[in-house]
Amino acid sequence: MASGHGLKEADLLQHLSFTFAVEGISRACSHQLVRHRLASFSQKSQRYVEVRRLGEHVVVPKTVEERAEKTFGEFIEALGGFYDRMMESGVPTEDARFILPNATETSLLVTMDGRALYHFFGLRCCNRAQWEIRAVADGMLSAVRALEPDLFRGAGPYCFQLGYCPEGRFTCGRMKEVAEKYRPPNEGEAL
Amino acid sequence: MRLELVTHTTDIEAMIATAVLTTTSKSKPSSLFRRLKKDPERVANILGRIEVQHGSVLDHNRLCWRMEATDTEVLEVLLRHRFFSFTRLDGSDWLLSSNLRTAIRYVQENEGDPFSEALIGSIPRSLMAILDEIGGKVR
Repeated sequence: MASGHGLKEADLLQHLSFTFAVEGISRACSHQLVRHRLASFSQKSQRYVEVRRLGEHVVVPKTVEERAEKTFGEFIEALGGFYDRMMESGVPTEDARFILPNATETSLLVTMDGRALYHFFGLRCCNRAQWEIRAVADGMLSAVRALEPDLFRGAGPYCFQLGYCPEGRFTCGRMKEVAEKYRPPNEGEAL
Repeated sequence: MRLELVTHTTDIEAMIATAVLTTTSKSKPSSLFRRLKKDPERVANILGRIEVQHGSVLDHNRLCWRMEATDTEVLEVLLRHRFFSFTRLDGSDWLLSSNLRTAIRYVQENEGDPFSEALIGSIPRSLMAILDEIGGKVR
């Protein structure tokens, strides 16, 4: 349809909708995700779903695992115990959750149109994005490229989309490496 | 004004039910969706007892129409609900899309207007059932 009407594919991206199930991310990560306003979310509620056995439902960053695993684990265990005791003493789920940490796991559905996705990838596949949401963004990009390789060939961090890095003095300085990472398969190296 | 539904995302009802249970159950959305897709009876049951007063569970889909309309008619629609997306294909030939929540809200708030009537006429009967079922509760 695009070629017949002299439209660019980008004009039609807004009419395409993609829904992802994002699972096992931290609430720290989901807080960043839901800041993308041109999107729709249905997220596991901590008002309705209790978080029992907290220790089994937390995301532990690698740096914490390397440098503070024991203290982190003890703290989570103490928090989990406190949460359970509050629940047993009749504190409502919606109030007991006030002590749950950012590390707590969550799941959600997120729906974005194609244009919003390009913007999301532009920001969140960037090397400057936080590692967890970057991993989510990379996963979403692989998924849409598998479905619509032509439409999402040019999607990736903004330096990949634009041909220059818009991060100014914060640039990671590794544009060539990034371009290589996001180059779709079966495409020659960029000149 | 002429409106024709060109396409829409599949499994809309199962996705709405998945969104409902994602917020309130321990199960993961991917496994909920896999199970619900094969269980239309359970989906109908969930849709029938939706109590939420906000329509965000109706957001996870998209319907796409071809529309013949003047610029003024398009402007009227956009002024009434800015969540419709329009692309001009040619002159008075438009492609537009929205999710079910936007379409339902439009119909609720603009009873009797020509676009509202055209929307109702264009939406398949199965999806209209969702409107009948929960439309009155959507905010």
